[in-house]
Amino acid sequence: MSQTITIDPVTRLEGHGKITIYLDDQGNVENASFHVTQVRGFEKFSEGRPFYEMPSLMARICGICPVSHLIASAKACEAIMSVRIPHTAAQLRRMLNLAQMVQSHALSFFYLSSPDLLLGLDSDPASRHLFGVAGAKPELARAGVGLRRFGQHIIELLGNKRIHPGWVIPGGVTEPLAEAKRDEILGMIPEAYDNIKIALNWYKQIADSFQPEIEVFANFPSLYMGLINEDESVEFTDGALRLIDARGGIVADGITATQFTEVIGEAVEPYSYTKFAYYKPLGYPEGSYRVGPLARLNIAQSMGTPLADIELKQFKQLALGPVQSSFHYHYARLIDIIHGIEKIEQILTDPLILDTHVRATAGVNRLEGSGQAEAPRGTLHHHYKVDENGLITWANLVIATGQNNTAMNLGVKQAAQHYIKDGKFTEGILNRVEAVVRTFDPCLSCSTHALGQMPLALSLVSSTGELLDQAIR
Amino acid sequence: MNTPSARCLILACGNTLREDDGIGPFLASWAEEQFANIPGVRILASHQWTPELALEIVAAETVIFIDCAVNAAPGAVSATPVIAAEQMPRLMTHHLDATCLLALAREYYEATPRESVLLSIGAGSIELREGFSDAILAAIPQAQRTLETTVRRLLSKRP
Repeated sequence: MSQTITIDPVTRLEGHGKITIYLDDQGNVENASFHVTQVRGFEKFSEGRPFYEMPSLMARICGICPVSHLIASAKACEAIMSVRIPHTAAQLRRMLNLAQMVQSHALSFFYLSSPDLLLGLDSDPASRHLFGVAGAKPELARAGVGLRRFGQHIIELLGNKRIHPGWVIPGGVTEPLAEAKRDEILGMIPEAYDNIKIALNWYKQIADSFQPEIEVFANFPSLYMGLINEDESVEFTDGALRLIDARGGIVADGITATQFTEVIGEAVEPYSYTKFAYYKPLGYPEGSYRVGPLARLNIAQSMGTPLADIELKQFKQLALGPVQSSFHYHYARLIDIIHGIEKIEQILTDPLILDTHVRATAGVNRLEGSGQAEAPRGTLHHHYKVDENGLITWANLVIATGQNNTAMNLGVKQAAQHYIKDGKFTEGILNRVEAVVRTFDPCLSCSTHALGQMPLALSLVSSTGELLDQAIR
Repeated sequence: MNTPSARCLILACGNTLREDDGIGPFLASWAEEQFANIPGVRILASHQWTPELALEIVAAETVIFIDCAVNAAPGAVSATPVIAAEQMPRLMTHHLDATCLLALAREYYEATPRESVLLSIGAGSIELREGFSDAILAAIPQAQRTLETTVRRLLSKRP
């Protein structure tokens, strides 16, 4: 008799989701789905609002990556205004986005995944958390807390709030950087370097011991997409999108925010509120692709900063072409962090960084605008239409988690098929299935633009549809 | 990390879009003005208490946690001593309560404040809207008095 396993809620994620694993009559995995079970609808209720309110409204989608929404939204608004923002404003926004990337990646790596990586995927779940990490390796635990605070504090210094800062507006930012704040951030840099080096050194020592997981954690060929500069270095805030195939060949290049919808489509599946993005010329699901740290590093030829470039070289040695296993998102995330610290330091030494000209102004000069940026977990696209009074008539957001959705589902299926045999599974096996999703660091609140509850759940269902077992946390 | 030291750290928690849950940020905002000229008072308000706040706690001599309580009578104001938890919950990544934050400070940095107090205000409603229920509105003056008394008491003690 076939069965279904449900993991509900899936834990240590940003948002609420569940996993269902369908077993055949022999108890082997026939299929598996990752469901995002919350719904919100920011696109709909923004209709009728003045376009210049959009950055602040859209930032409310998420408490983890509000800065990415602020930036993508402001850029879409600037397309409507047809303005180019001042150099200093662009640099300050870049720093804000990098600070957010550092704090978000620190949360993902240290708070959500390091308990598995340090204590083991089969360790006692009662102590598989931050406390357990502190007991086993306190310097790693402190490095994580330090890096999270580093990013959060920069956001607080720039935006005057750690979460949902209103500093980024259409046309630039509301106020320039004060000298004292610049000096305070510079003063935090050495400790941030120390902390990321602790994490990188430790991760590189333990990564090989996860070879069995590396083999089956969403380890398959796919397309990859991310922002890139003209010199082929990684980019988080500006640049244009590049799409590569599983062998590293360029599929599409120089995709601007305006061109995004010509290239990327969104499909809908009945089991999830999150859409499934795909590369239009290949159709759905063949055109599915991955975004985020793994994709960015697969695409970039350099990080544009010295320490991160050393790490990128090592990262690229993991495979002949693009690195396919999603387990390596963890390493890519740490490389993003060291790049972020280096780049923030570089930006702060820009001779114009204290310039007071940080805002351009204009009214409605176009009735449609798009903006894109890299959120910590991947590419984020905002697209708005307005009437002649600047009121929003239509909005669409394409979120990183939606762009990774097919890969997450295939990854869950791959791991479930590998680990679950004859209908038998242990807590450690279910934790591995969840851990596949965690590698992507999905933000389910963002993906559905939804009202936040945190947990995720797992169910075991028979071929006749009978619920046989459930893991609810 | 260059965390500013404080003789009295006020950590408020809550969401102003969830009705009475916003009492923490409201009192934090009031405290910003009330204690603006008193050195050594540091005030932080956030939607959730997250692990990195342990760094703020270890840099503080005393801490006042402010939060609404859904398991208390609506409008009930209490200021009670709070100590570090002995056992941690299984899920503790995004939000920690005062006892867990103190425990995290102890485990990570081997330090806890000399004294910690939880100022709790019973919530009447935490629906999705701004503003407060009648019970909370009536309790605000008492909550402010309790906060002021507690701050002054903590500051009056020698380390």
